[in-house]
Amino acid sequence: MTTIQRKIWLLVSVMLLIMGIIWMTLTYYNQQTQEQTNSILQRYLRLNEVTIASQKMITDLNNYLLDPTEIHKVQIEKSIKTIEEVQQDVVKLRNEENAFSVTNYIHLIDSLVETANRSILFSEEQELEGSTNEFNEANRISMYISEMTLTILERELKTYNLFYREIIDQSEELKKLGIWILLLVTAVLLLATYWFSLSITKPVHQLTKAANELAHGRFNQKIKVESNDEIAFLAQTFDTMRININDLILEIQQKAQLEHELQQSKLLLKESQLKSLQSQINPHFLFNTLNTLSKKAYLDGAEETSDLLVSVAGLLRYNLKRIDRPVTLYEEVLVLYQYMEIQRARFADRLHFEANIDESCLHVNIPGLTLQPIIENAVIHAIEPEEDGGTISVRISRDGFWIIMEIEDSGKGISQDNIELLLSGHLDTNVGHSTGIGFQNVVKRLQLFYGVENLVSIESEEGIGTKVIIQIPETREEVNDETTNSG
Amino acid sequence: MRKTIVLLLGALIIIFSYLTIVSATKAFRSSSELPASLSEMEDSIRLVLITQELDTPFWNKVGQGAKQQAKLENVELEVWGSYGNNEDDFLKKMEIAIHSKVDGIIVQGLDTDEFKELTKIKAAFYGIPVITVANDVPVEESLRKTYVGSDQFGAGKMVAYELIKEMGTSGEVIVLRDEVQAYYQKERLAGIQDVLENYPEIDIIIRGTEDTNEQVISTTQQLMNDAPRATAFIAINANYAGPMIQEIGRRTQVEPYHIYTFDDGVESTTLLEQGKLDGILEQKPEQMGQESVKWLMEWISGETVPLNSGGYLTETKMLVSDGDKP
Repeated sequence: MTTIQRKIWLLVSVMLLIMGIIWMTLTYYNQQTQEQTNSILQRYLRLNEVTIASQKMITDLNNYLLDPTEIHKVQIEKSIKTIEEVQQDVVKLRNEENAFSVTNYIHLIDSLVETANRSILFSEEQELEGSTNEFNEANRISMYISEMTLTILERELKTYNLFYREIIDQSEELKKLGIWILLLVTAVLLLATYWFSLSITKPVHQLTKAANELAHGRFNQKIKVESNDEIAFLAQTFDTMRININDLILEIQQKAQLEHELQQSKLLLKESQLKSLQSQINPHFLFNTLNTLSKKAYLDGAEETSDLLVSVAGLLRYNLKRIDRPVTLYEEVLVLYQYMEIQRARFADRLHFEANIDESCLHVNIPGLTLQPIIENAVIHAIEPEEDGGTISVRISRDGFWIIMEIEDSGKGISQDNIELLLSGHLDTNVGHSTGIGFQNVVKRLQLFYGVENLVSIESEEGIGTKVIIQIPETREEVNDETTNSG
Repeated sequence: MRKTIVLLLGALIIIFSYLTIVSATKAFRSSSELPASLSEMEDSIRLVLITQELDTPFWNKVGQGAKQQAKLENVELEVWGSYGNNEDDFLKKMEIAIHSKVDGIIVQGLDTDEFKELTKIKAAFYGIPVITVANDVPVEESLRKTYVGSDQFGAGKMVAYELIKEMGTSGEVIVLRDEVQAYYQKERLAGIQDVLENYPEIDIIIRGTEDTNEQVISTTQQLMNDAPRATAFIAINANYAGPMIQEIGRRTQVEPYHIYTFDDGVESTTLLEQGKLDGILEQKPEQMGQESVKWLMEWISGETVPLNSGGYLTETKMLVSDGDKP
């Protein structure tokens, strides 16, 4: 994994290397040029030395001829030695261009030395004329040497002219090159830095964006960072965190749903319990009183009234006991008859009750007070408001494993909108119910009891009547699978 | 934004790279080679060709020929000399050459005592062989090894024959020469006289002059006054032909005159082409240069010792003006 630190190191060291190479090259090149210039300058200095030495020798020779003492002799010998040394140096200056001239030059120096020596010799032998002649000649040769020095210098200048110009041009060009290289390196550095900083900030940016998404509660998007440094590691960790949070949230949601369902069933139970508690204000007193009234009526010869009171008492007892535990369908049907007995006493001829019950279905378990509230609804809506009364028919039949219970009335019917509202639980109608248990309560209790939805359906035509259909499985466990199959 | 920056920087990098490469190729282009240095004293033979008339067509050709031959013989040769007959400078060059201990000197002979002393005493003292070229100085006066050049006596005769051919066997001929005659001029004059003496009806008027243009012009003037019937001119020193013709042209037409000279003058060839000269004697300067180097090398290497002191003569030829041809 390339770390950010390593990236920085790489960038800086590559740049340093490039700079170093450029610097070394330029320095090396400059040094070479300088060496060349130095060697050329040295040539000129050497040539000049020859002229100076030859002139000095002539002066010394003159001094010696005028005054031939030992001191002057030493001096002239010294200057002769000097000029011979200089001559040795001049030999090194020979090259292809000036070989001829420099050879001549060297021989001229030879001639000068020879002539000077002859002059000294003549002088020592007291031959004044000879020595003067030789001195004059030496003087002339010295002049020739001076002239020739100039000629050679001129020639050198001509030979090296192009070279000098090139050196000047090149140093100019070198200056320009320096500027261009500086600009080039700057541009390259800028680009490299730009890319480099992008390689750091881009993943950070991506990470920031991902963090923002998380902050806004979107846990589904995968965090992707195209990088290979620490940021990528960070992103990976971040992604793992995201997945974990996502899982946790899902879990919490599931739990919350469960909790919600639990709460609902608890509420229903509470409601029923409350209702039963309310009606239990003095149930035994009421119950005993009703029984006493029944006996009293029987003794008074009002048998009908006595039966009615027995029915009411039975209904009351059933209502008190059976709300939170299952009963058999048989018991339900029994209560249904008792209730209808009471209602028939109330509505007399206005109420027609028909029952068509398959006896083989009556052993089935069912939550208590399932049919009674529905029948009561039918009485309230189909019989009470109608002056001519109406018909209520109850049918219990078997369809495979399903027990179908149909309660039909001949009332005004319910609109389709209201049916949906009823079934979805948004319209409550338990007002005025004798048991205080409404339609909603029945639907929900069935749902909780069997663990299956849509057990209750309503068919209705306005003006003709309403039919409530309850279908329950014959056995609770057995039919649970079948439910899913038959929809 | 990001793309713009990258594109901009990319473009800049390309531009700067180009400029850097251009600049670098210029800056690091291998500088022109310096002459290779020769640290050891090589014993290559050094020859000098010395003339009084540098940069004249004639001597340029001599120099060319000598250089060609020197290259062939693989020896070093330089052409030294003075411009426009500067005698002091010329003698100085001779002295420098001798003191420089060159291996051989090829020189345009000068008929003066100083020159003779230089060749006879100094050069001999240093043991340097001297060959005269084009212009000779007699061997007994200069101790030159040999002479390479035209037979000046024969050249004079050729000019004279040409003159007779054109002019006929009678008339006045004006011959212009130097006041102080060099050996080669004497030879030429002798050649001319040798021929013309056979024709009694030809009068020869010989006059010397100083070597300045003014002097030449005034001498010409005098001559034309003295001999108004002269129909032919011969300039023995070819350099005098120019001013002479200029003076003639100032007075009268140049055409009717028969004017002859030699090719070793500065203007000789030009004047011939213009038709002002009727003829010049053409020598072989290149051959002179070549042969002088050749013979000198033969002497130095010891192949031919001694050299023919009479000299090695090169061809001469009469060159006549196109305008004069019928």
